[in-house]
Amino acid sequence: MYHINKIFALALIVLLTGCSIGGEKKIKIFSVEKPREKLDYPMPTALQLEDLKWIIITSKNAEEVFKKLEEAGIDPVLFGLTDKDYQLLAKNFARIRQKLQETNNLLEEYKKYYEPKENE
Amino acid sequence: MFGQIKMIITVVLIAGIAGAGMYVMKLRSDNAILKANQHKLETAITEQNKVLEKQKKDFTAILESNKKLNVLINTFKQDLDDLDKRFTKKNRDIGKLAIDRTKVIERIINKGGKNAARCIELASGAEHTEAELKATKNSEINPECPALANPSYVPYQ
Repeated sequence: MYHINKIFALALIVLLTGCSIGGEKKIKIFSVEKPREKLDYPMPTALQLEDLKWIIITSKNAEEVFKKLEEAGIDPVLFGLTDKDYQLLAKNFARIRQKLQETNNLLEEYKKYYEPKENE
Repeated sequence: MFGQIKMIITVVLIAGIAGAGMYVMKLRSDNAILKANQHKLETAITEQNKVLEKQKKDFTAILESNKKLNVLINTFKQDLDDLDKRFTKKNRDIGKLAIDRTKVIERIINKGGKNAARCIELASGAEHTEAELKATKNSEINPECPALANPSYVPYQ
């Protein structure tokens, strides 16, 4: 009887503590750094400008110029600039071109720096 | 009496062996921890070196990019000065010239306008033509923006 009690007590202990052997598995949390997706816009398409023709009109050739325009079926009207304003227009044009070039260049540099190609 | 002493010695001996065993176990565990720490430190140093290398590379890239932009901005200034000179060189008055030699100036201005338009196209990212790339002489270049249009051209000093 004494032995039966001992076995019973032992079995009870095993029964109660059995689940704690090995225990619950611990949850492991780890972070993986995922790089930001590349924007990868294509570069803007290049401009294709229309040809335009400058006509110089002076007090001497005005009649001849208007006559030629009429003969060519073009409205005899001209939008004029003085020589000084023409120079300013040329400089403004150059500045716009430079700004465009600068902006495009900056865009390329940013792209190269932040979105390098695999072999760069 | 003798039996009791024997038992005490045995207990002390067993306790001593158990203590020594536990101490060795502790040493081994400490050793394992130290080894893991050493590995972690070595990995951290490698990572740090990688970061430093990357930073160095980035600084070089930034410097190079800045240099490139500065050169570009200096070229812009040069182009504007050249344009100004073309209008005012040797007290040139383009208005008077246009009165005296209307057709010639008209032709020059139209050519200049065409060249300037081409410069805008190139600045917006258009591809260079073969002739533009090869141009090295004054007569072959686009005088409105030689640095942009004709990369092979070296201006005379």
